[in-house]
Parts: sequence; structure tokens; C-alpha cells
Amino acid sequence: MLVQQLVNGLTLGLLYALIAVGYTMVYGVIGLINFAHGEVFMLGAFLCVSALGIGLPLALACALSVGACAAIGIAIDAVAYRPLRAAPRLAALITAIGMSIFLQNLALVIWGSRPRPFVREALPAFFGQTAFELYAVRVNGLQVVICLVSLALMAGLHLFIRRTRAGAAMRALAQNRVCARLMGVSVNRVISLTFALGSGLGAAAGVLTAIQYNSLTPTMGYNAGVKAFAAAVLGGVGSVPGAMLGGVILGVAETLGAGYVSSTYRDGVAYAVLIAVIVLRPAGLLGQNGAAGRDKA
Amino acid sequence: MKRLAPALWLLLAAALAYPAGPWADQYVLHVLVLVLVYMVLAMGLGVTPGFCGLLDLGFVGFYGIGAYTAGLLTLAYDLSFWVVAPLACVCGAFFGVLRGAPVLRLTGDYFAIVTFGFSELVVMVLTNEIWLTRGPLGLPGIAPVSLDFGWLSAFFRPGTPLCYEFSGEAPYFYLALAMAASVAAVLRRAKASRLGRAWLAIREDELAAASAGVDVGRCKTLAFAVSAGIGALAGAFLARWSQFLSPDMFKFWESFLVLCMVVLGGLGGIAGACAGAATLIGLGEALRALLPGLGIPVEARFLAYGLIMILIMRFRPGGLFAASARQPDCPAG
Repeated sequence: MLVQQLVNGLTLGLLYALIAVGYTMVYGVIGLINFAHGEVFMLGAFLCVSALGIGLPLALACALSVGACAAIGIAIDAVAYRPLRAAPRLAALITAIGMSIFLQNLALVIWGSRPRPFVREALPAFFGQTAFELYAVRVNGLQVVICLVSLALMAGLHLFIRRTRAGAAMRALAQNRVCARLMGVSVNRVISLTFALGSGLGAAAGVLTAIQYNSLTPTMGYNAGVKAFAAAVLGGVGSVPGAMLGGVILGVAETLGAGYVSSTYRDGVAYAVLIAVIVLRPAGLLGQNGAAGRDKA
Repeated sequence: MKRLAPALWLLLAAALAYPAGPWADQYVLHVLVLVLVYMVLAMGLGVTPGFCGLLDLGFVGFYGIGAYTAGLLTLAYDLSFWVVAPLACVCGAFFGVLRGAPVLRLTGDYFAIVTFGFSELVVMVLTNEIWLTRGPLGLPGIAPVSLDFGWLSAFFRPGTPLCYEFSGEAPYFYLALAMAASVAAVLRRAKASRLGRAWLAIREDELAAASAGVDVGRCKTLAFAVSAGIGALAGAFLARWSQFLSPDMFKFWESFLVLCMVVLGGLGGIAGACAGAATLIGLGEALRALLPGLGIPVEARFLAYGLIMILIMRFRPGGLFAASARQPDCPAG
């Protein structure tokens, strides 16, 4: 039972981590909480279902939704955040919230408020079957896929940030924007790239979540977004491995909390963790000191 | 205080006279009371971002705390509104200080996130602590406001009941108007005071304010208390006006709506916050009537609110009613 909960928590946590990466990257680079990220996650799920609805195969639908969300991420930045780079921080924060509400209600107008199921027929059969069973712990195919896909995506992202030129530019920007520009980093292009990567990963998480829970609503990005943000803060904002660690810890804590303490306060775990970390250790588990909560004009 | 133009005086007189006449429509009055309640909320929320430069995403939590404090006290002890409202205020302010204490050091985003988490926790407690709040069933049957002048009758004919119980929207309109006017007056005075100047100094540059001798922690805590107290006051009014409370009335949407009003009116402005409240409630009611005809769910009116917020921040960060498009150094009040 405990091990089963741990497995479920791990799957959930990896999904949170996949979303959290998007928050953490954007925060690292422009120092803004992109409240609209949860909505990109939701749009990813809906776009995938719509693509399946017109008869595309699963792989193509997923790729299409991830690509479209990367473009949406770039567009959000270009339309809403870029004009406010020099403005007071409060202005950008308010815009981010406005953007989140706008996208959520746009989805409400397009797809309606009733929860809709994922297109079951499009899924390969092994998703629902038990992949392996160890001492009464069941792990189904979907959980294996979720773990593998999220781990692969995050490992790829980590290598990208550490090993490539573009990744180095991102890190430079996170440290000091003015200095990075003087060193020849094309600031806006790197920021666009950051938004594209984060939004693409968020969309992938959206698709996986929609398959896992078999339900899509325009408000699904709200809870997932908050929890992923909590995971990002827990791990240390700006750190990709931190986001992974934070996501897994949060997912496991939530599942165990719901199983053993109180299921009514299941969603409260994330908020409690969030507030505790911010108050006690704002830098997070893996964050560098001073990187978090700083005031970047 | 600026001198009002004669046209404005006329408008004010018309607004005062309207509910008393036989032509008053209950729906119009209801919307007007709603506008006044949101004016109070917008003024209360405006204190934290407008005066201190901190974004409060959880303001509706205090609204909820005030409303439930008033509702529960009324149901359990049958207290008068005039006792319950100050108690709710104090309770709200207490929670404001409680929430503010650990986050005093935080700035910007982290403050916003903690406040957001706080209001979610408030809704969660209201929903789950069924023994106290009846949970999702809500609190029905809260007594309306009444004016009891029975104690006065001792002077001429002891024992005469002199009790007036509010019914219909008109008396609530006057009560809400009095509430909004007093909150506006208090805030206007506070803003002009030493404390108000300290708040603005903190908003502009916390470090500079601290080195100029402003006790930043104390001033911020006072701002949280004032803001939360005003929110709770509006909540107490809501409890006795709608006579029904449920946790759904205090979800994040409400915080967002009030924030949108403050942004629309211009951060830091009292008149602006009121104008923002009137505009958005009016817009909301218009959309509520219009949207179902277009086959769009009513909730989609938030689409418009979100868009308004983005556009205002982009093109008129000083608020829709500000004289110039640039951020005011000294916001109009």
C-alpha cells in the first residue's frame, strides 16, 4: 500500500516537475512568475484532443500540440511581457495574471465548461494494462510512459542548458541581463526560446495529465499551475534539477497526505509547502542563495 | 479636496434621491449596492499595492473571513449588525497582521504567491470545516440589518418597540453608501497623514524609506491591518445583506475582479478605485445580459476582464482615468 502510494506520487510528481520547469526557466531568465503557464498546460491538452478529433494519429497530435504551445508561449511573451520589460515589476505581474484569466476564459468560450474525456480510441492498448507487478504493487503502462517521457524531456533540457551555446546564453541572461547583452547575447531571442521550451514541456505535461485523468476542463491549468509553481519554489526557482526534485517531493507528499492524513485537504498540501518554503528558506532546496525573491527592476 | 462641479453635485443628489422614490427598481438598486460593496473592496485592496507596492492576490480571503465572522456571530448569538461589523473588522485585521508578519521581508512575486495561497486556504477551511461553517451547504437565514431604537423610548414612553428591520434594497443602499463614504474618508485622511506619506515612501523605495527613518515593518503591518479590516467590513455587510453565505462566494475570481477594478482605476487612487468598481460591475451586468444571447457561457465575461487588465498595463499603467498615460509619480487621489 505504501509503495503503491509512492509509485502514484512519483508519477504525479514527475508531471508537476514537467510543468514546474517552465516556471523555473522563465523566472530564472526574466524574473517573472508567468501565471499564464498553467493555461498553456491546459491549452496543450485541449489542442491535442482537438487534433485527435479531426483524425490525426496520437504522435502527430502530441507533436502538433507541443509545437503550437511553444508558439503560444512565444506569442504571450511578445504581446504581453516584452513591452513591459522596463516597467515596474508590479505591472508585469498584473499582466501575467490578466493573461492567465484571458486564456482560461478563451478556452471556456471555445471548448465549453463541461469536462470532456480524452479520446480513448487513440491510445495504445498497453497504457491501461499492468506493465509489471512487484509484491502487489501495480504499475500500468501509462505510468511507465509518464515517467520515461518526463525524465527524458527533463534530462534533455538539462543537457541543453548545460552543454549548448543557447543554453549558455540562457544562463548568462539569468545571471545578469545587461552584461549578457554586452557579451553579444541576443536577449529577446533567448527569452523567446525560453518561453518556447517551457511552454512546449508544459503542453507535454498537459497531454499526459489529460490521458492520466481522462478529463479536460478549462480550469485544469489553475490547480496544476499552482502546484507546479510550489514545486518550482520548493526546489529553488531557477534550477531545473531543483524543479524535478521539488515536483517529486510534492507529488509524493500530496499522495501520502491524501492517503494517510486527510483527503479533504489534499490540495492544501501544496499551499502549505509553498508558504513554508517561502517563509523559511526562500532560496529553495537547490537554489543558490540570493537567486530567489530578488528585486529585478 | 477638489471642488465638485455642479453637474456632479446634481448626479450625487439624483443618486441619493433615486432609491427613496416610488420609481426605484429593485434590480437597479441591487446593482447599485453591489457597486458600493465593490467600491469598498477596491479601496481596501488598493491599500497594499497602491500605497505599499505589494501585490495582494488573496484579498478576498479577508472578505470571506469578515463575512463568515459576521454570519456566524449573527446566527449563534443574534447580535446586532452594529456590534458584528466592528468585530468582523477586528477579526479581519487580526488575520491581516497574522498573514503579514511572516512575509514582511518578502517582495514582489513571493508576497503575491503567499497571499494567493492564503486565500485558497481560507476557502478550503470554509469548505471543509463543516462543524463550523456547514461547508458547501453555506449559511442560510442570516438576519437582515435592523435599527433598534428601543432604548430611546425610555425617554418618553417606556416599552415602545422602536425597531426598524431593513427590507428591500433601498435601506441597504444608504447603508452601503455610508460605508463607502466613510471608508473613502478614512483612507483619504490616512493617505494625507504621516503614515500615508510613509506608505508612499515605502512604495517608491523601501530602502530609502528605511534609511530616512520610516519603520518599514510597522507601516507595512498597519497597511495590512487597514486593508484586511476594510475587506472584512465589506464581508460583514455582505453577510447581512445577502443573508446567505457559501465558500464559493470567496474564490480567487473575486480577488481577481477586485484587483482588476483597482488596476483600471489606477493604483493608489481612491476615486479611481471607486470608478473602476462602478465600471466593471456595470460591464459585468451588461455582459451577463448580453452573453447568453450570443450562446457564450456567462463566466466568459472574465475574458473581458483579463483583456482589460493586459491592455491597461500595456497602454495606460496609471489607470484609465489618469490624466496622462504614464505612471504617475504622485497618483491622483
